[in-house]
Amino acid sequence: MGSAPLSLRGLRARREQAGMAVLLALVGFVVITQIRTEWLIKRDLRIPSRELEGLGFALRQQEQSRAALEAEVADLRGQLQEYEKAAAEGRSAAAQTNRVLVEMRALVGLTPLEGPGVTVELHDSPRALQPGEDPNKVILHYSDLYAVVAELWAAGAEAVAINGERIVASTGINCVGTTILCNTKRMVPPYVVAAIGEPSRMAAHLRRPGGALELLEAFDFPVKVSRKTRVQVPAYRGTYRFEHTKINR
Amino acid sequence: MWLPVVGLIIGVVLGFLFSVEIPLGYVKYTAIAIMSAIDTILGGLRAQLEDRFDLAIFLSGFIVNATFAAMLAGIGDLLGLDIYLGAVIAFSIRIFDNVGFIRRDVIMGYLKAGGRGTGRAAGRSAS
Repeated sequence: MGSAPLSLRGLRARREQAGMAVLLALVGFVVITQIRTEWLIKRDLRIPSRELEGLGFALRQQEQSRAALEAEVADLRGQLQEYEKAAAEGRSAAAQTNRVLVEMRALVGLTPLEGPGVTVELHDSPRALQPGEDPNKVILHYSDLYAVVAELWAAGAEAVAINGERIVASTGINCVGTTILCNTKRMVPPYVVAAIGEPSRMAAHLRRPGGALELLEAFDFPVKVSRKTRVQVPAYRGTYRFEHTKINR
Repeated sequence: MWLPVVGLIIGVVLGFLFSVEIPLGYVKYTAIAIMSAIDTILGGLRAQLEDRFDLAIFLSGFIVNATFAAMLAGIGDLLGLDIYLGAVIAFSIRIFDNVGFIRRDVIMGYLKAGGRGTGRAAGRSAS
């Protein structure tokens, strides 16, 4: 062995060692980095990196479904808001409509009403007919009832009924033979006219000189006017029907 | 023989000093690469002990093995097959083999050296 090969071998060995040192430095660095990363994963996520992919997949899926659900929630929330708005508008509109409707029904006589008022009781004349006397003179006529009703309206009556038949806009009082018809229902005496309104005013108006009742009493028809604190007027039982009428708006 | 140890220590210190985070998706590949690197280093150590070390073979082995192992893991991912487990097993077996040979070489070195010094000293005197 000469000195030249020896130094060459030494140089080679040195170079080999340097190369290995560099590699070992690299490996040491990577190993430590890997260990630190793994340690970080375990510390932060509390799961080993082996399970990361499966969990990542599950997470992505969950995130997707969550995004879809969130979109749905937003959508539904928007819908709900619209519904609520519509409901609020509808509620107030419906309440308004309902209030008007109740008033209208009361006005046209479709609801039973009560309040202070008067009742007028009318009887056929108890007087015995004289021979050859016209029987019309002792029985009440539809015109008499009509007159009483008209006087009540004039005295400020708000609702009127005869023998439980409500007087409405389409009510006619007429007669067929000896029977008085009201709302096309047959009436039999005694006729009780009930009216809601101010009792004393209506009573006074009915009792005024030259009124319908004075005329009836003059012909011996028994008439009885009573003021009441509570008069009940039933609802109109008939129907309203427009066959030929068009409503002009 | 001290130079590689110094290199290793420098690497470890650098690893502690600079906190480089490996992206979560690549942790598996770097682990495989590290396995291959450990295998190569032990192979190199053994070769040095047996006095048949060659830097070119060592370097190429280091690079090619690490790269190929990582590639294998990647292909396994593409195929949906845990091929990297094969690499892990192969490297593990080789690491154990190398450790066994190194152990034998060191002990033999001790026995040959007798009272003259340590195995390492014997190795150095051989080189």
